[in-house]
This record gives sequence, C-alpha cells and structure tokens, in this order.
Amino acid sequence: MANLNVDAVKDMTYDAIVIGSGVSGGWAAKELTEKGLRVLMLEKGKPLEHVTGYENALKDPWEMKYNGRLTVKQKETHPFLSRDYPYNEMTEKYWMNDMDSPYEEKKRFDWFRPNIVGGKSIMWGRQSYRWSDLDFEGNLKDGIAVDWPIRYKDVAPWYSYVEKHVGISGEKLGLPQLPDSDFLPPMEMYHVEKEVRKRLEKQFPGRTMTIGRVANLSQPDKIQLEGGRSPCQYRNRCSYGCPYGAYFSTQSSTLPPAVKTGLLTLRPDSVVREIVYDKVKQKATGVKVTDAVTLQEREYFAKIIFVCASAIGTSLVLLNSTSDRFPNGLGNDSGELGHNLMDHHFRTGASGVWEGDLDKYYFGRRANGIYVPRYQNIGNDKRDYIRGFGYQGGGGRQGWQRNVAELAFGADFKEELTTPGQWTMGFGGFGETLPYHENRMYLNKEKKDKWGMPAVVFDAELRENEMKMRKDMMNDAAEMLEKSGVKNVKTHDNGSYLGMAIHEMGTARMGRDPKTSVLNGNNQMHAVKNVFVTDGAAMVSASCVNPSLTYMALTARAADFAVKELKKKNI
Amino acid sequence: MNRREAVQKLTLLMGGVISAPLMAGVMGEKLNFGPSVEVSAEQEALLAEIADVIIPTTKTPGAKAAGVEKFITRVMRDCYVEEEQQKFYAGVERLNKDSNTVYGKGFAALDTAQKNEIVKRSTTADKPFFLQMKGLTVTAYFTSEIGATQALDYLPIPGRFDGSYPMKEGQKTWAL
Repeated sequence: MANLNVDAVKDMTYDAIVIGSGVSGGWAAKELTEKGLRVLMLEKGKPLEHVTGYENALKDPWEMKYNGRLTVKQKETHPFLSRDYPYNEMTEKYWMNDMDSPYEEKKRFDWFRPNIVGGKSIMWGRQSYRWSDLDFEGNLKDGIAVDWPIRYKDVAPWYSYVEKHVGISGEKLGLPQLPDSDFLPPMEMYHVEKEVRKRLEKQFPGRTMTIGRVANLSQPDKIQLEGGRSPCQYRNRCSYGCPYGAYFSTQSSTLPPAVKTGLLTLRPDSVVREIVYDKVKQKATGVKVTDAVTLQEREYFAKIIFVCASAIGTSLVLLNSTSDRFPNGLGNDSGELGHNLMDHHFRTGASGVWEGDLDKYYFGRRANGIYVPRYQNIGNDKRDYIRGFGYQGGGGRQGWQRNVAELAFGADFKEELTTPGQWTMGFGGFGETLPYHENRMYLNKEKKDKWGMPAVVFDAELRENEMKMRKDMMNDAAEMLEKSGVKNVKTHDNGSYLGMAIHEMGTARMGRDPKTSVLNGNNQMHAVKNVFVTDGAAMVSASCVNPSLTYMALTARAADFAVKELKKKNI
Repeated sequence: MNRREAVQKLTLLMGGVISAPLMAGVMGEKLNFGPSVEVSAEQEALLAEIADVIIPTTKTPGAKAAGVEKFITRVMRDCYVEEEQQKFYAGVERLNKDSNTVYGKGFAALDTAQKNEIVKRSTTADKPFFLQMKGLTVTAYFTSEIGATQALDYLPIPGRFDGSYPMKEGQKTWAL
C-alpha cells in the first residue's frame, strides 16, 4: 500500500505546473518544456483542437442560423458576456457559461471569461505593441502607486525573442514612446486612410497615423512556416479560429512546439482551486484541482508553479490559497493582492465621411485597423490629466448594411445597396487607467460556484483622471479628422466600464518592495520563490497600449530566470 | 415598498446584483425558455410578400426567392422574447388590415402597385414596425445564398489585401 501511494504521488509530480493555457500560459509551457522541464498545463476550459475545432471558421453567412445574434436563452445564461460583441453566435462555444460562476459587482465590471484551451488567445484583437520607458517610468515620475521594478532595456531583448516566433506585422516609426518591434511587412492602408494620414501628419507635426501592429502573418518568416502556419487570407474572421494558423494563438504558435518536446501534459477541464504551501519547506508544493465535468478532486505536485490564469483568474486562485503563513492569500504579505485593478477605457472618439474617390474600392478584408500613437503629455503637449491615450480605428467603404434614406424600399433601394457607398473614417481612443489601491476585486467565500470556488466581487471604477482624459479622446479625434478633410464629423462617447476593453490588469503587481507589491522584477513572488505570475495580474500600470505582447515577453523572461534558478538550486 | 423593490434592496445589501431573468424567476414571472408565438403558414407567406416589396426581383431574384421569411421567423422565435414577438406580428397584422381597409382584400391578393402603396403607407403610419421589418429583410436577403452570391460580389477567401483597388465596371458591393 505504501508503494502505491509513493507511485501515485510520483505520477502526479512534475517539474513545473502552468495554470492557464492562454497567451501567457501557452508561452510558459513552450519555454519550460523547451528548456527540458516536464510540464503539466492545467486549463479550466474545454479542449479545442487547432483547425478541426474551429467549426464556424469557414461557414458561409447563410449557414449561420441567426447571422450572429444570440438567442434569448443564451442571453439568460450569459448575462455578463452578452453585454458586448465578443460573445456571439459564431464564437459562443469559446466562452464560459456565466451562470456556472456568477460574480458580484459593487460597481459594474464586465468580465469576459473564455472556456477553452487557448483562453482568449483565440478571440483576441491581436493588436501588439511594445511598451516603453514612458510606461515603465510613469509611476515613479508621477509619484503614484509603486515603481515598476523593470525598465524597457530589461524587456527589449525578450520582446525581440517572442516577436521572432510570433510574427508581428507593422511599420517602423522610430518613436521613443512606441518602440518598434522586429516586424513582418506592414499591412496596407485603405485608400481613405492613406489620404487622411498625409493630411494629419502635415496639420499636426509630431503626430502620425500608422497601420496597426498586429499578430497576423502578412508574410510568414521561415520559423512560422516551419511551425505549420500560413499567411493571412484577409477574411477578417480571426475570432472564429483560423484554419490557416495565420494569427498568434496558443493553438497555432505555442502549443505545437511544447507538444513537440514530448514533455508537456495538457489537462483541460481542470479547475485549479488553490496552490498548496508548505511552511516548513517555505515553498509551494503543488495545486488542488477539481475536474470541471466530474467534480472529482485531484492534487498535483511540482517544483515551480507559473500562474497564468488571466489577471482576475490568477488573483482568484491566489486569494483562495490560504494557510497559517498566508491567511490573506498566497504571497499577500503586502495586502495588495486583489488591489490596483486596471483596464483601458475606450468607446469614445469620432467618425465622418470622406467625399469622392469613388473610383477606388478595396480587395480583401483587412483584419487590422490603423493606430495613432500617444502624443499627450509628451514634449510640449501638456494636459490637465496625467498619462494619455492612443487611437485605433480605420476607414472603409460603406457596404449593404449602411443606412440608406430611412424610409426607402423597393428596386431603386436594392440597386443602391448593391453598389458600394461612400468612404468613411473613424478614430476610437484607448486610454490609460491609473492604478488606484481602491480599485479592487476580492472574494465572497459565502457564495460558491459550480466547482466550489468563491464568487469574485468587483469594486472598481473610472475616476477623475480618466474622465478628464475622455473629453480629449473625443474632441481630439474630431479635430484631427476635420483638419484632415473628413466631412460630417460626429463625436461619440458610449461610456466605458472597467473590464469592457478586456485588457484587465493588476491585482498581483510587481514592485521593488515586498511591503507594497506581490512580485519582484522577475515576476517571482517575493514571499514564495517558486511561484511566478506572468499574466496581466503582474502589471504595475496599464499604459494606453495593448498588453498581450508584454505578457508574452515577461513570461519568456521569467521562464528563463526560473529555470536558471532551478538549475542553481536556488528554488 | 412592493416585493420587487424589497428583493432588490436586500440583494444590494448582501452585495449582489440580481440579473433580470433571476429577478423574474424570484417574482414568479414567466421566463422565455418556453413557447414562442405560433406563426401560421399564412403569416409566414405574408412576411415573404412584404419582404418582396422591400427587396423585389430586379435583374437578380428578390427577397421571396431568397426565402427571407424563414430567417425572419427563426430569429423572431429564438432571439426575441414573447412580448417582442407579439409586437412584431401585430405589426404584420396591422399592415394586412390596412390592405383590407384600402383595397377590400388581404395584402397577398394585391397587385404590385397596390402592395407598394400599402408598404409606403406603413412607413409613416407604422414607422417602428416598418423599420424593424426592413432591417430584418435587408439582413436576411444579403446574407442569403441568393442575395450574397447574385446581388452582391461574393468572395469568401480573398487571399490578399489591396486598399486602393480600382472600381471595375460592374463591381458590386462585397457581400462579406
């Protein structure tokens, strides 16, 4: 009997456990297995096979029952997810049933939870930008929150490292506030965008509009081709899953090399409830898991643990991992776990019509927009708020969906819709949200979900700095469009709540001081040296720039450090 | 206060937000997991006739040929709550009634000119219904196989992107 127990434990023992299989988790699994570690990757969601799993990717529109709409039943079982577009008829199998695990909102928070291997890396927007020292030095210079314990020079080689593998398409600009990646060729602009760019750069010296920097293969390098990935086919159906592997996802990019090593065990349908801490060894020893389907409980053991369950998911596990040593959650000596919750705020900007150039149309559907890098609070541009925003958006020609004279119908109306409409152009701002200690998530242990996990409670909102910034996001957009010759410019502010941008960050931040942060400059828990957090939870500030490329770089860097420490027997 | 208010207040005190369908369940109201409005074959045929006025056959087949009424009834049944469905079909009935009032016969029995006149009347007399019917018809038609592949230019896999593609003679709006 004793032998059986020892063998059973041995079967459950790995060199490393990775919690989560999304952007960060996939990279952790790839890096750790390629460095020779036996890795167990635990994913809460369901299996999703690359290519064969993407059921709706190649469907014609008439093969979908509701042209994207949700049914009444879906809206009732997904009250949070049905608030916005990512959850729709085509992607519905990728998202979680909200009512299996309802969360609470002291203030509104839109939490978009996937339910698949690959996490949000299947449905993400693929915009990929390097952060700069404008971001990493911000807290120190503004005297808020805590200083990032790293600078651009620490991350730059790791940005290059991940970009080589991922393939980021974009245009070099040489801007200090938005460092260039090692790019694949940039995608082309729509005709109206080319026209607007010329005029914008002339009217606003120092500002520019570039093509989006996107994790789609405009032209694959050898490394992507060898990885079985193909060039983008310009169908603009990315979030349904790509049969060509043309954009970065766990399935297309990080899972295959991990599997190739023969050292990866991937277990979907595995809800990690807590990380187990041994106060004698002063280390984490493993995780407790509930099977998502059978509710059977299991335990796994490892030398190191990478927590990559997405910002909120990660802090949920950490807060739920209590012990004598850590009564308030694993590694929570500082009391900061769950605090400093951030996201980008958006859904404000302007748009209008471009007259003429009706002899030009477009061919193909570009799965990418334009980008106007941040120019506020840089150089002589001073605002009545700190930090700033960038713009995404783009142009195109109106299609059959356009609002033709409201009451028109009949043959002429039909003919009009079958010819392309006018060119249009629009900007939507993405603004930085500051790290406020008061913006937080915590647990309601009185309320358990289907798997015995406590409910998350959100208490976070946009505050004065963000609201002031939003005025400029809207008005600057209108000004730039008007001065660039766009007509009939209308502004919009559709309101923004934290979580809507799906760039939720913070809650287990890095920092120099264990008294005010959870992780050190290597994404390593100050208080538990064999636990690493490399997803959005680690972020100290939010920038206005999309974060996923930074998660990839930090994960690869932390994995490199962790393995070296393991080899030196420091952890 | 009434019971609904009391439940809401208590829920907020306990730190939760209660969702509408849960509240409905608590209050014993009917949830829409159940039956929808029953649509007769005649009502479906009437939808096809109205749609065919909005998007008629021209050089390419119209809404009726494209079978848009199937899409409309399916979306109504599954994506709208019963109350909203009733509202929509009441609009269809009102249009049919107007046809009887003006021409002494149902909409399906009218000639093309008369049908156009009745739909035109609805654009002012029943604007919200007209706009909803028009929106559903346009979507249903241009995402149908006939609409997408014949009335528009259908190219599922472009393979490349050209942002300044010269407009060719006879170029139609892209379907996708």
